[in-house]
Amino acid sequence: MTLSATLSQVELFEGLEPDELEKIVAICEERTIAAGQVVAQQGDAGDELFVILEGLVEVVHEETPEDPAPRTVVNLGHGQVFGEMALVDFGPRSATVRVISDNASLQVIPREAFIEVCESHHHLGYVIMRNMAADLSFKLRHQHLIGR
Amino acid sequence: MSTIYKVSYVVQGGDHPGAILNEDKKPELGQRVTLGSNVFEVVEIVDLMPARGDFSFLHVTVKSIPS
Repeated sequence: MTLSATLSQVELFEGLEPDELEKIVAICEERTIAAGQVVAQQGDAGDELFVILEGLVEVVHEETPEDPAPRTVVNLGHGQVFGEMALVDFGPRSATVRVISDNASLQVIPREAFIEVCESHHHLGYVIMRNMAADLSFKLRHQHLIGR
Repeated sequence: MSTIYKVSYVVQGGDHPGAILNEDKKPELGQRVTLGSNVFEVVEIVDLMPARGDFSFLHVTVKSIPS
């Protein structure tokens, strides 16, 4: 399967036309991460968005003065994205993300190229930002259900 | 394209954080699912929000299977 076809099965890119999807493919970089490796560290600056094509990662809130025990808040698998918060709000990473499967196959999108393609192609930018908001909403609903 | 099921798995009891992932097939009651190194049984399936495009959005409650 081509990368374009694979990315079309990721909600973040749902609704993009084939030529728009190719623009995303052009700014993606493949990265394979081994089990136990940290992909993003809470508190660090972050300028990349990650799409999980294979594998499972855990999202961990590290200890803070207010919350002294680190805790895993969710596991993310095939088709999910992470790193989007720091990508759009320019803040530090809000959590640590670590690979917990044998390895993980990721597509990485750098902020500068991502913003450039969104600003240059408004329909593409609108669709991705709408989908990103929907994904954040889904994650929030997941957290609400855990606390049920 | 066939439907892609974006699933929020929530684990009953315990402190497992659950998982979010895409599935090719809709989970079924009683089905066993593997999340990382743990195996669970599906006990509840609910539409979390309306489908959009090729995507359906599900909330699935699972319980641990005693080893």
